[in-house]
Amino acid sequence: MKKKKLIRNVLLVAVVLGIGAAIYGYKEFNRKSESITSKAADFKVKPLDIITAFTDDEKAATLKYGGKIIQVAGLVKKVDKDEQGNFTVVIGDNSSLSSVRCSIDSLFSKDVTALQLNAPAFLKGVCTGFNADEMGLGSDVILNRCVIVKD
Amino acid sequence: MKKIVFLISITLFTGAVSAQDKYFTKTGKIHFDATTPKSPESIDGVNKSSICVVDTKTGNIQFSLLMKGFEFERALMQEHFNENYVESNKYPKTEFKGTITNNTAVNYSKDGVYPVKVKGKLSMHGETKDIEADGKLTVKGGKISANADFPVTLADFKVTIPSLVADKVAKIAKITVDCQLEPLK
Repeated sequence: MKKKKLIRNVLLVAVVLGIGAAIYGYKEFNRKSESITSKAADFKVKPLDIITAFTDDEKAATLKYGGKIIQVAGLVKKVDKDEQGNFTVVIGDNSSLSSVRCSIDSLFSKDVTALQLNAPAFLKGVCTGFNADEMGLGSDVILNRCVIVKD
Repeated sequence: MKKIVFLISITLFTGAVSAQDKYFTKTGKIHFDATTPKSPESIDGVNKSSICVVDTKTGNIQFSLLMKGFEFERALMQEHFNENYVESNKYPKTEFKGTITNNTAVNYSKDGVYPVKVKGKLSMHGETKDIEADGKLTVKGGKISANADFPVTLADFKVTIPSLVADKVAKIAKITVDCQLEPLK
């Protein structure tokens, strides 16, 4: 009798664990990339600082900033819009060709209209890396899935 | 006097019809698709921050993109792509340097659709291979659209597909290029 109860309890625990694992597996498999609005920035930088970090030592800067959430504070140089309506906000100094290019999360495209050229802005995004100036276009630090921070 | 007028006219005329030398974009779209017919879901991602530069005089064409810039629908797929397949921490960038072999057939000053053949070297995941592709350049209103589709054999670039997912992830990925280029001033 005791043995039967033990076997039953063990099976029950195994089933519960199994269901738990299946739910976790399903959720993890279908996990979408979260919006970073609610996530804290790993680094808060000015455009010149992060551009200099990459220009001086690209490997070290990629290790430090790559895949991390970066909040950048600077002047809006330009706002690009592509054929599909995706915005890229270019932050930096007008005297330099180099910038931080912030590809805006499409869910927050409407926030871009509030930005003004040559006015300060705070943007937060995931750093995908650095494009060194090899083609005479200036160097760029690229941030993806960016949101505008109301700081 | 007539000579001066003639010379001025020629200069203005040449200025009016000649195209810019270089065209570029920093928001080019590159789509990566490694879906197999057996796959229950699409294995594809898109990079919307690719750089493309075309030199209309020489036909030189260059692309540069950051691998971390590829966005996938599922976060897990994006993580696997970066960590296991393309190892983007080790090899952050993919570059293509080549030429439009039939560049003389493209009239960059005249609106139209021009089929092109592109040949060059693709560097990805630490490997460099020769690539040939067919595409088209659409000249309209002083801007150029560059479009192409071409296959990339992942094994050529030492991108290994685990046997567990071999029937879901294609050995040959389809790359789609869609770039809107503007004159470089």
